[in-house]
Amino acid sequence: QNILTVCFSVGYSAVALNHVIDFKEKKQEIIKPVSPSELFPSLPIVQGTSKRIKVLTRLTLVVSDPSHCNLLRSTSANTRLYDIIAVFPKTEKLFHIACTTLDVDLVCINVTEKLPFYFRRPPVNMAIDRGIYFELLYTPAIKDSTMRRYTISNAISLMQICKGKNIVISSAAERPLELRGPYDVANLGLLFGLSEGEAKAAVSTNCRAAMLHGETRKSACGVVYTVKKPHQVEEEETAVPACKKAKTQ
Amino acid sequence: AAAFERRVLRRAAEHHYLRVRLELPDGGARPNAAQFKQLVVTALRELHGEVGAALPVDVLTYEEKTLSAILRVISSGFVKLWSALTLLGFYQNRRCAFRVLQTSPFLLALSGNSRELVL
Repeated sequence: QNILTVCFSVGYSAVALNHVIDFKEKKQEIIKPVSPSELFPSLPIVQGTSKRIKVLTRLTLVVSDPSHCNLLRSTSANTRLYDIIAVFPKTEKLFHIACTTLDVDLVCINVTEKLPFYFRRPPVNMAIDRGIYFELLYTPAIKDSTMRRYTISNAISLMQICKGKNIVISSAAERPLELRGPYDVANLGLLFGLSEGEAKAAVSTNCRAAMLHGETRKSACGVVYTVKKPHQVEEEETAVPACKKAKTQ
Repeated sequence: AAAFERRVLRRAAEHHYLRVRLELPDGGARPNAAQFKQLVVTALRELHGEVGAALPVDVLTYEEKTLSAILRVISSGFVKLWSALTLLGFYQNRRCAFRVLQTSPFLLALSGNSRELVL
């Protein structure tokens, strides 16, 4: 709860609470996510706007075996309760499966050890087409210098293949001090080799797109967001063809 | 009529200024100005090596009570300094965090903070 308070003060507008499931241990069951309303009776307002901060729930599956993926396909009631689903593949085959066929929103890229496999272009391009985002963590870089090297080297090799598209940078903070502000994290994106616009998008627009991708799983096909257009002064035009009028609406 | 002169600067600014605050939650000894500068240089050395540590960084003001400071750095080293401050985790084996409050290529812009406006 302390971490969330710091998040809000630093300037984030949406936070996702992560729950990690590791399949190596036996008898893992997916628990229901903690509802955010239990933690905060009323969420504070985002700085500068009048909307409240969103707190979402997220599930991360650490898969090292293809049989673990069956859980995603089975209609487990608890999996559907989470807003965002992420998968953490440990082998190349699983990475390929996750990018091409699995129904997830994020694919986590390991930052704590040297990648056992190289990224190849076909699965990465398919993931970009499907709207799946690759996630990098930055908190291990704060704790340990060896992990810093692995983080940067894995991030750079990912950038070479995906050219900076569909990247999300997030923190796996366990303490409020391990959190960094959004602009600081966007600056870290520059270190990884992203351009300035891509780095800022990695913290803002890509994250929102991943959230919407998670929402599409709950609905049947897609999500349409409507935005209120500013009131346009209508002028009387007599000779406007019908097709033109339909486009301006 | 008042006489005024208009100057147009075409080059990018020479220095970038950052207002930062160090967060040290435990109630231990607070660093003084020299130790603060040493901490910044250590952060640069950990991330960018000797070349990063040699970056000309100046601590323009430092308040020990609030642990906030204004730093000045050459514009070419701005990204290195900011990333080094972000990734710093420990000060004398105590957990700490740098919060960068404002940055600007002009020192005057650091005097007003639109985020702290009380509307």
